[in-house]
Amino acid sequence: MRSHSGAPPSRRRFLALSAGGAAAGAAALSGCAMPVSTGVSGGGETVTLMVKPEDISPELVKQAQKDTGITIKTVQHDITKLIAMLTSGNPPDLVRSVGAVDAAFFAARDVMEDLDPYFARSSVLEADDLDPVNDLWRYDGRIQGKGPRYGMVKDFSQDSMYWYNTSAFDKAGVEYPSETEPVTYEEWLDTAKRLVQRKQGQTTVFGGSYSGLTKATLFTTMTAAAGGSLFSDDFSRIDFTTPEARKALAWYIDYCRTKVGPSLIQPDPNGWDGPTYQAGRMAMSNNGYWLGGMINTDKKLAPVSRLAPAPVFEGGPRISACQGGTGLWMPRKASNKDAAWRIFEWFFGEAPAKERAAGGWGIPSLKSLRPLMPAQEDYQKRELKVQQEELKHFSVIAFTPYTTADAFDALFNQIATAAMAGQMSVDTLAGRLNAAINEQLKRGKEQVG
Amino acid sequence: MTVDQVSSVADRPRPAASTGRAPAADRPRVSMTARRHRAFYMFTSPWIIGFALLTIAPMVYALWLSFTTFDGISPNWRFIGLGNYSELLQDSVTWNALGRAGLFALTSVPLSIIAGLGLAILVNRPIKARGLFRTLLYLPAVVPPVGAGVAFKTLFDQNSGATNGVLTLFGFDALGWLADPYARYVLIMTVLWTAGNIMIISLAGLQDVPRELHEAARIDGASAWRTFRSITVPLLSPVLLFQTVTGVIASVQTIMPLLLAPLPGTGGVTTVPESNYLYMMHVFAQYFALGRYGYASALLWVLFFLILIVTGLIFKFTSGVVFYNVDPEAKK
Repeated sequence: MRSHSGAPPSRRRFLALSAGGAAAGAAALSGCAMPVSTGVSGGGETVTLMVKPEDISPELVKQAQKDTGITIKTVQHDITKLIAMLTSGNPPDLVRSVGAVDAAFFAARDVMEDLDPYFARSSVLEADDLDPVNDLWRYDGRIQGKGPRYGMVKDFSQDSMYWYNTSAFDKAGVEYPSETEPVTYEEWLDTAKRLVQRKQGQTTVFGGSYSGLTKATLFTTMTAAAGGSLFSDDFSRIDFTTPEARKALAWYIDYCRTKVGPSLIQPDPNGWDGPTYQAGRMAMSNNGYWLGGMINTDKKLAPVSRLAPAPVFEGGPRISACQGGTGLWMPRKASNKDAAWRIFEWFFGEAPAKERAAGGWGIPSLKSLRPLMPAQEDYQKRELKVQQEELKHFSVIAFTPYTTADAFDALFNQIATAAMAGQMSVDTLAGRLNAAINEQLKRGKEQVG
Repeated sequence: MTVDQVSSVADRPRPAASTGRAPAADRPRVSMTARRHRAFYMFTSPWIIGFALLTIAPMVYALWLSFTTFDGISPNWRFIGLGNYSELLQDSVTWNALGRAGLFALTSVPLSIIAGLGLAILVNRPIKARGLFRTLLYLPAVVPPVGAGVAFKTLFDQNSGATNGVLTLFGFDALGWLADPYARYVLIMTVLWTAGNIMIISLAGLQDVPRELHEAARIDGASAWRTFRSITVPLLSPVLLFQTVTGVIASVQTIMPLLLAPLPGTGGVTTVPESNYLYMMHVFAQYFALGRYGYASALLWVLFFLILIVTGLIFKFTSGVVFYNVDPEAKK
């Protein structure tokens, strides 16, 4: 072996050095993985928000700096990235999530900060001003809707409601649905069948779209509307074979089989209802008040659009839940909690909240902001009246902490497509869904402990 | 002068220059070989470090994950040894997805090689605007898969796609191209659409075939087919082997079915029609939709070994038919 300094390293030595370099590099990378600057930096503090671009515009980021003196740094919302940041102990200071399905999941895994002490001393977000929808972000260790608050809704809708286009009804000679009294789900489907238009195997106008925000929330709310509960009392199991859950499942499979609206076996190429409804190719669209934000910018569409109450099942209670409740929460290991809370207050109670309330893209989550909801035009006044009546029927439908809605939907979609195509009975489907989703819930329960 | 001779000349000690610099004897002597070695390692080390960091380290991490119930976030994950591998053996969805992936490879790889080779032969002929045709045929290969997925989804949509527009124009009923049983054909079309990749490599191979061999065959009275079969294909066989191996690896790893799925995003992976629910879709669903990092990692390690085995088998079964245009003695 040559030992003088000019000798080349042996292959073995070189590989060992490379491995050492790689290990050192890996250590360095893990040390600086997803750096979150949350400490004091320069002139002011910096708070990192993991959000979607539509949640906070660059103008609002500047506004935050002006209003609070705090710099907002945004990170694109991505669940995989969030998990990596949480696992490495370097989470963002505030995170966007969907309250209806994410709050219990994250709270049960002990990664969320209890915000009760912050709310208690806040003069911006006062307890009696909070809309009941914010209870979606409460979890007491067993059930969603009770216990400490872990987050807050930015704005919301009652997502079982639907919009309809009166032009499509006029063209088909069908009577408009009532804006005060709910139709039954069966009536809704019959109406959709009369409104759908087809030609040579193609659907030119969808009679109606009804798929909920996610399949998970669709079935929890529809089962509740049938008078039952999809989950067992401890949320560790589901049962699609109960009469109420089966009724909801059978209705949805019937909706898919009749092909009156978009579904997995007849997807909407636009990916969501908005552009299709706007183009006059959908007579009814299952979306809540928030869709008015889009509809009311179209001066032709707005006057012919109506908002209607959430359908009910014959003999079932009138329930109109929020299936989303998107908002922000603070990770327990956030490193700049006080500054994060200041941004939280600003986002939910100050300029951005007022701007959202006036925009018509949802109902504000503070009662005091409701007077800002748009009511200049006749159609806006009309929608607002329907919405205000519907709020009387709001309730929180608790979701299980043992699975994500994504996992629920993935399993449902995988199993149910055959039933939608008429190749599987509803009872067989119910049994298979129980087996697959309960297995996922069992794994989740073991992991939560 | 051969390379070795050049090397030996360069390695000879040189007399010290008379410019006042320290004599060579006072400095450590660096031979040309040593310098060449050092240069080699300096040039390759970025790749080797990158390979170790970005390939070996994640693979080892995934191997460790495959022995756990880790879901990325929950506190009570545990080590389960070979539990995930044992579950995998009994999971019919996994085996069905693997079978479909194998079938897809068996169909798409030969078809795309035939299409690419056919196009290469066409654009290798002395035709007008040959350069333009080569460019146009290669263009789809540079379109990112996401763009191709959106284009195919739009083209084959049942209610508003151009394909059904043509069908209905001629009085036929529209078809649900993106659902079973047609979805598998659309998937194959996406592969054939990018045959320009294979065309370019095959074209390079074709241009390397000595012209005099074709002329000799023509003088001997061989038909065009016989010339192609006995001269062109053997000389192209290393290129075809390369395309087969890389094609098989790419086909089992394709994510195109996800891009053609009815729903976008992670939840949409299980909306892929059953005939297109290939092995990687199953892996994707386990990782990102169900949060089963441990099980998904086991699936990936199994795929890794299967690819190694299949690649080895391809080399073994083609060793006698692939013609390497090198001096066999030079290998020794």
